[in-house]
Amino acid sequence: MNKAFEQIALIEGMIAASFVSSEGKLLGWCSNSAISPDTLNFIAETCRVILSANRAEQRMAETGVVAFGNRTLVFREGETGIFMAYLDSPTNDAVLAWLWEQVGPMLESEGIKLNPATA
Amino acid sequence: MLLQGLILTSHREYAQAMRQGLLAVGDPQSRVDVELDALRAMQLVPQQYGLILLDTMLDAMDGLQLLLLLKQQAPATKFIVVSDAPDETSRAQAYQNGADFLLERPRTPEAFRTAVDAIRGLVERHFDGEAVPDTQDGAITSITDIVQTRCLSGDSVLLLVRSKHQSGDIFIFRGEVFHAQYPGKSGEGAFYDMVHWDGGHLRVRALKLSHVPPRTIETPYRELLDSANKSGVLDTGLRPPTGELLVVAGELPLDSKVPSVVMEAPPLQQTSPAKSSKLPDITTSGETPIPAVNSHWKINLMGELVEGSQMAEPDRCAFITYFIFRKMADVAVALEVDYFNDMTLLGPHLQQVLVADNMGVRHAVFETAWTTEDLRNQYVQWCCEQSF
Repeated sequence: MNKAFEQIALIEGMIAASFVSSEGKLLGWCSNSAISPDTLNFIAETCRVILSANRAEQRMAETGVVAFGNRTLVFREGETGIFMAYLDSPTNDAVLAWLWEQVGPMLESEGIKLNPATA
Repeated sequence: MLLQGLILTSHREYAQAMRQGLLAVGDPQSRVDVELDALRAMQLVPQQYGLILLDTMLDAMDGLQLLLLLKQQAPATKFIVVSDAPDETSRAQAYQNGADFLLERPRTPEAFRTAVDAIRGLVERHFDGEAVPDTQDGAITSITDIVQTRCLSGDSVLLLVRSKHQSGDIFIFRGEVFHAQYPGKSGEGAFYDMVHWDGGHLRVRALKLSHVPPRTIETPYRELLDSANKSGVLDTGLRPPTGELLVVAGELPLDSKVPSVVMEAPPLQQTSPAKSSKLPDITTSGETPIPAVNSHWKINLMGELVEGSQMAEPDRCAFITYFIFRKMADVAVALEVDYFNDMTLLGPHLQQVLVADNMGVRHAVFETAWTTEDLRNQYVQWCCEQSF
């Protein structure tokens, strides 16, 4: 898992990324800033709660994109956990598609499959 | 003697310095809390504080209005209003709203000394000689036992919890733990921390809860207590036991722990019953037309539904938006950024867009099948125009 995240850390604009298992365990992470693994775990868990709350409201979602000024938090659920990336840029659907193209194979090499993107 | 004080401000460094000053005013048993989030400050129980220092302006909130609310709840508490540039108008307003003293924000060590001396004078006049009843917070007892008993009884109570160094609140509503908080943290994490304070043996006072508290804890109480028992003492090292406020200066090394101040929780506010009828229909008043949506609505920062269109269950719509807003506020604090501007949730059947400003949050639901990025952007643009 560390190898995948070493590569993910090299993606342009990537500030931090993590994958947290369904049991809440931080399985992999990388950070190019002072964001700690604890913080990444906390954020991923929070995102998971949001997706779960939406499921309960019959508004199922598997991907979230949150703009904080010029930075963007992206999260996406998979069968075994949730992936989260914090980017140093705004995004649009094209950027997202590009991101999944980059990240998907890296995670899949570690046996992690994200849910299909719907954007 | 000053037993417990609170500083409400959005200036971290000032808070740190003033906290030290206030601690010097009290005795070694005194405790001074700091709250940097005005909305969350409204969730605190002001009665527990003998002295509250608050700024005239707290981020998005008028401190003098907050003073009015707090004074109504805690008439015995002494309030000191801190202003950056006090003028006669704000001075008059502060005293009218219940301030006991108005202070210009100290900026130099000498000014701090003078300010602390002035506060000491106020404290000595009002608190010295007042016996503090030993039973103020109830007898020392096992917090988990109290929570379990109250939940089993199906009670709705606010538990005021006090350890040697910290204090916090646990809200139990109809037999479930709805919310827990102490200055700097709220939610499930706060609950776990609190049940481990002083080995779980704390002073607890119960107040009857007359309103529905905000819900930040979804876990059933049995599970919550089980997890708390299994987890042992959660000493993460992130928070000094004295409640010391840490000031973040610049970037930290990669392996640094997150300082306690970045673990602050979202602004929380009592969710009032949403208006289910007579909601004004959202009208268009900008250049950008609103795109076709399944439904959309707006809540204010208190979680109340302000307006909406085509909603099946207005109350639930308001609730989920507020829930997401609060959760994202948590994330914003953890990332040390401002609240989110907009958020998109993409699902196989529905897509949602939330747009936040300092007045509230707008939320729209789109059908995935016919929704494009342009339509979502159009909605964000429309929301921005409505804000103006």
